[in-house]
Amino acid sequence: MGSLWLACSQEPNTGEDPEVTTRGSVEVTAQLVEIRGEFVNRADYDYAFVMKYKVLEVHRGKVDSDFIYVAHYNPEKPRDRVADERVSDVGGTLQKFHAGDIHRMALETPIDDYFMGGIINRYFEEYKGPIYWAVWTNPVSK
Amino acid sequence: MRARYLTALFFFILGTMFSTESSASDDAAKLQEEIHHKGWIVYCSRADNGTWDLFLCRPDGSDKRNLTNTADFEEAAPRFSPDGKKILYRRLDKGSTINHDKWGFQGKLTICNSDGSDPVEYGGEGEYPWAAWSPDGTQIASLTVKGIQVIDLASRKVVKEFPRKGIYQQLFWSPDGKWFCGTGNHGGESWTVVRMNLETGEVNALRSFQTCTPDWYPDSEHVIVSSRPAGQPANNGYGYTQLWEVDGEGKEQKLLYGEDGVHIYSGAVSPDGEYILFSKCPDDGGGAERSGGTICLMRSADAPTIGGPSPELRKVHPDVKNGPVIEIDKGWEPHWTYQEISVRP
Repeated sequence: MGSLWLACSQEPNTGEDPEVTTRGSVEVTAQLVEIRGEFVNRADYDYAFVMKYKVLEVHRGKVDSDFIYVAHYNPEKPRDRVADERVSDVGGTLQKFHAGDIHRMALETPIDDYFMGGIINRYFEEYKGPIYWAVWTNPVSK
Repeated sequence: MRARYLTALFFFILGTMFSTESSASDDAAKLQEEIHHKGWIVYCSRADNGTWDLFLCRPDGSDKRNLTNTADFEEAAPRFSPDGKKILYRRLDKGSTINHDKWGFQGKLTICNSDGSDPVEYGGEGEYPWAAWSPDGTQIASLTVKGIQVIDLASRKVVKEFPRKGIYQQLFWSPDGKWFCGTGNHGGESWTVVRMNLETGEVNALRSFQTCTPDWYPDSEHVIVSSRPAGQPANNGYGYTQLWEVDGEGKEQKLLYGEDGVHIYSGAVSPDGEYILFSKCPDDGGGAERSGGTICLMRSADAPTIGGPSPELRKVHPDVKNGPVIEIDKGWEPHWTYQEISVRP
C-alpha cells in the first residue's frame, strides 16, 4: 500500500535535462516498442543494439516516421556508465531497457557517421531506412 | 601364453606411440630447417622489463632479439612495409592495456626501420586509426568513423577518401592495390569480414558470423581470418575460434587450423603464401590484454590441421592432415618478411 502511494505520489518525469536537450541533432520522446532477441552478454565485446521505438513527440530536428530504429551502445550497461574508450560521448540516466517504457533521447543519424563498431540489427530484413544513434537516453514517467 | 601375448601387444603399442611421436618430432624438425633462412618475423611480446616490446626472430624462433627494448612504452601490432625496410606499429603509454578489438585506435602510430632504429611517432594519440601499408609503402590507409582515408606518408596529405561501408576495424590493403579487407557490419550481421573494391567502392562479405582479424594472401584473392563457427558444443556452447581461409568472393571456405581448448588469432601468411602464422590462446581475442598467446607456424599445404585431441572438431572435419606445427614464442600479431634485415646483436 505504501509503495502504491509512493508510486502515485511521484512527480511525472519528462526526461528533460541539459544534456538531452542540447546533444545530438534530433530529440524525441518515444516508447520502446520492442527489444528483439537477447542482448549479447559478453563483457569483452562492444556493440550497438538496434531497438524499435514509436515516436510520441519530436522536440528537435526532423523525424519522418512514426516508428524509428535506434541503436544503443552496450545496452546491458546503465547509461551513466556506458561511455568508454571507444565511445566517449554517450550517456543518460536510464538504468535498464524494458519494452513498453518511454525514453527521452538525443539522437544522431546516420549511425555510421557516429559509431564505428559492431551493430546488431535484427530488423535488417524488414527495414532498410536510417538507424538512429542514441547519444543520450533518459527515462520518462507519467 | 596369454600373458606373453599381452606383453608383446603392450610393447607393440608403446613402440607405435614412440614411433608416432618421433615421426611428429622429425616432421617439425624438417619444417624448422626448411624455414630457418626464410626472412624474419616481427611480433610483440612481453619483455623482461614487463612492457610489450617488438621482437624479431627467424621463422623457426631462433635468433630472437628485442627490437625496441623500451621500458617506457607498450608497443603493439607491428607490420613490415611491403619492401621489408620499415615497421609500422602502435606505441602506447606504459601500463596501457592493449585491447584486442581496439588496438587500432590506441596509442600513436609509430614507424621505425626494420632493425628497430629511428622510431618516429607519425601521429598523436589515437590518430591514423587502423593504419595499414599501401602496396608500395608510400601511403597508409586509415579507418576513421567518417570513412577510409588514404594518406601520403611523405606529405601527410589525405589523397583519397572512401565511405567505410560498415567496416569498423582491422583494415588491410591487398598487395595488388585493388582491395581493402576489414571487419564490419554487412547484411545485418556484425563481425563479418568483408572486401571492398577500391574502384567501385562495392563491398562483399567473405565470411559472416563471429569472424574477424583478416589479412591478405599474397595473391590478393584469398584472405586469412579468425572465425568461431556456431553450433560448437565445446566451451559451454561458446566454442573456440579457428583459423580459416576464404576466397575473395566468399564462396570457398577452408579450415586452416583449429584446436579445442584454445582460440586461434593473429593469422598471417608468409610472403609466398606457403606458410601460415597464428597464435593460440585460452583467452578469446588472442590474449592481448595479458601476455598474448603462443605464436605458431605451419605449412599452408598441411591445412586443415587440428591440434590436440579436439574430439568435437575432428568430428566436423574428419579429413585433416595433422601437419607439423612449430611453436615460436609467446606473443601477439606476428608479421613476416622475406627481406634480409641487418639486425643489431
